[in-house]
Amino acid sequence: MFYFRYLRSELVGRRTRTVLTLVGLALGVALVITISGLARGLDRAQKTALDPLSTIGTDLTVTLSPQQDTGGFGRGGGGEVVQANQSAVTDLSKLGKPGTQFVHDFFLPGTQLTFPQKQTAKIASLPGVASISNGLVLSAVHQEGVVPKIVAKIKAGGQQLDIRRQIKPPTAAEAAAIQACFQKLGVGVGGGPQSGTQPGEQQGFGGGRGAGGGGFFSSPAARKCLPARMREFRARITTPQQTLKQVVSPPQTNIKSSSYTIGGIDPAQQSIGLVTPSQLSRGRFFSKSGGHEALVSAAYAKRKSLKLGSTLDLNGTRFKIIGLVSPPLGGQTADVYIPLAQLQKLASQKGLANVVLVRATSSSDVAKVQKEIEQALGSGAQVASAKQVAASINGSLVDAANLSHDLGLVLAIIAAVAAFLVAALLTLSSIGKRVREIGTLKALGWSQRLVIRQVLGECLATGIAGGLVGVVLGVLAAAAIGAFGPSLSASSTTGAAGANDVLGLGQALARTASTSVSLTAPLSLSLLLFGFALALAGGLIAGGAGALRAARLRPADALRQME
Amino acid sequence: MTGDLLYDVRNATRSFRRGDATINALGGIDLAIEHGEILALVGPSGSGKTTLLQLLGALDRPTSGQVFFEGRDLNTLGDNELADIRLRAFGFVFQTFNLIPTLNALQNVEAKLAPTGVPEDELRARSLALLEEVGLSDRADHLPSQLSGGEQQRVAIARALSTEPRVVLADEPTGNLDSRTGTEVVDLLTSLSEERRHTVILVTHDAEIAEKAHRSVRMQDGRLLEPTLA
Repeated sequence: MFYFRYLRSELVGRRTRTVLTLVGLALGVALVITISGLARGLDRAQKTALDPLSTIGTDLTVTLSPQQDTGGFGRGGGGEVVQANQSAVTDLSKLGKPGTQFVHDFFLPGTQLTFPQKQTAKIASLPGVASISNGLVLSAVHQEGVVPKIVAKIKAGGQQLDIRRQIKPPTAAEAAAIQACFQKLGVGVGGGPQSGTQPGEQQGFGGGRGAGGGGFFSSPAARKCLPARMREFRARITTPQQTLKQVVSPPQTNIKSSSYTIGGIDPAQQSIGLVTPSQLSRGRFFSKSGGHEALVSAAYAKRKSLKLGSTLDLNGTRFKIIGLVSPPLGGQTADVYIPLAQLQKLASQKGLANVVLVRATSSSDVAKVQKEIEQALGSGAQVASAKQVAASINGSLVDAANLSHDLGLVLAIIAAVAAFLVAALLTLSSIGKRVREIGTLKALGWSQRLVIRQVLGECLATGIAGGLVGVVLGVLAAAAIGAFGPSLSASSTTGAAGANDVLGLGQALARTASTSVSLTAPLSLSLLLFGFALALAGGLIAGGAGALRAARLRPADALRQME
Repeated sequence: MTGDLLYDVRNATRSFRRGDATINALGGIDLAIEHGEILALVGPSGSGKTTLLQLLGALDRPTSGQVFFEGRDLNTLGDNELADIRLRAFGFVFQTFNLIPTLNALQNVEAKLAPTGVPEDELRARSLALLEEVGLSDRADHLPSQLSGGEQQRVAIARALSTEPRVVLADEPTGNLDSRTGTEVVDLLTSLSEERRHTVILVTHDAEIAEKAHRSVRMQDGRLLEPTLA
């Protein structure tokens, strides 16, 4: 068919213009697809992360914050907070024998006071309450390492005492008596060993054999003959008193502390709870009976390289990880979840809970139920609705979501208009350059219809090609965003409210839960079709308008146009 | 009076608006043209000969007056009817050749023939035959940019003749060619047209070219200088 050959020649012959138009269209389409995809991604992230309570079947959360004057519900008072958090003291002496490895987890209630579970029955009996679930969310500090051995080395002794004393020489009378005594015993004074006498015992006064000089003086002759004064030397020596002081360097140790949050869930209730099976991303949920099983938030599992089937050792009790969950934000989140009874036992919080999740019988009753609970429980109880929880969440996800809410649509429209304009302008300019050619065709006898058909055929071909390339680019861009895109975070802090005023402990003990959502740009067939149709429409409308304008010119006028 | 005549132009005027000013390109033309005639419209540039040719070729409409072609007042016909007349009754040759730059020589000839709805194989055969007649059968797959001026104008002549028109309208066909090539091209045009008994209307300012016509009509300032043959 001649017209197809003409179309092909036109597109191939004007390669640069064709490619330019195609790229312009493709970029526009890709832009529309990517931006709309991003807006959808943010929307989706917002829905899961920023409306947390609805995903856990909860309308209201009830917690107890310490206050100066607490009503009947809790035990109340700042002292309670201190008391409840006392167990945070690390007592090295209780960790084990020095040198042994230890692992210990401390569980602290933070600033959310605990209350006896049986008190929550009060809430369940209020009109308009469909169901409640008790939860216990604790801050945990995990410590592990080696119990340090403290050894001090003290060196003592080794002093030398030198004693010198002059012995008075014998007086003349004593000397004479000694002489006489020796003579009487037949011991020579000043001579060598005498034969005939007991050898080795009787020695001369100055004899060299007695090492230390004990020989002569201890000889029987000397004992007898020497005056008492010279027979024995006695002295009492007292070594100087001293105090040894040594600073003992602290022993090398490797105690690692890390904190996490742990939540106790009533496994009998699966439709309402801190997490429900709908937050499960892998694995399975607790069985109704609830054994030594744990659910771990996906983020925590990634951080700690935990997998399904790994075990957590909590003060000697082993919990098997059976599932990964993406807990909803809203304060009552934890990194690790175990059955409530298990956590109560571990943390010595038997029969205690610190959060009650409440579902109203109908969503229109929520405000009424909230008031009822507040009245029933007194001022210490904090009752938060899903809306309030959502409002307390902040972070880049919220900013981005707000941005997408406000700007996403505008951006998508701008991109769409830009894509449309690009398509239209490129097409119009390419037709503008062909007015003379169109005039020639008309002079040859081409009808208006034929000219427009030909030009529209070119626009259609360019539009389809540009649209397809744009769709491919858009899909690639969305994939790239999915792969390398930034993560957005949302976080929510619980426990700080109220406690700040009491002890200033709030900041320290408040738990901040955060979740990060990696930015994705999910695409749908309809979105791709929309982008594609946009390119086509832009090209066709502009092409049609341009071609109509050029084709309606009198051939003489068209031919007069300079190229 | 109009029965035997191919064209009967009666007091045709054509004025253009240029901003606030009105330019009278043609001021009251009366002209009769017979079948098979080779007519030269001669005159200096700006004398209105191209404007008259465009009225005769149904490329433009007169501001006033009438142009009768084969007894029909062209001004009363709609755009589609005019297009059909241009397709089947007229063949144009332009000073600047006006070949479609992205089509090769053969396709340029086909571009005129295709709207008549001839079957694909006939379209090709007839176009090739015409290229052969103008001596360019070996250049059929060349783009206009790969052809010389004379060759391009010969393709244009083949194109003009492809639908077996009754009239060939040539606007300064030698204007962009050297004189030798120009003469060759005009000879080709006139000889092929005479063979086919086509009427030829030739706009030129070249006296030598005009001599090849049966009749010359001189124009100046939008008017005919000599009495027309009636």
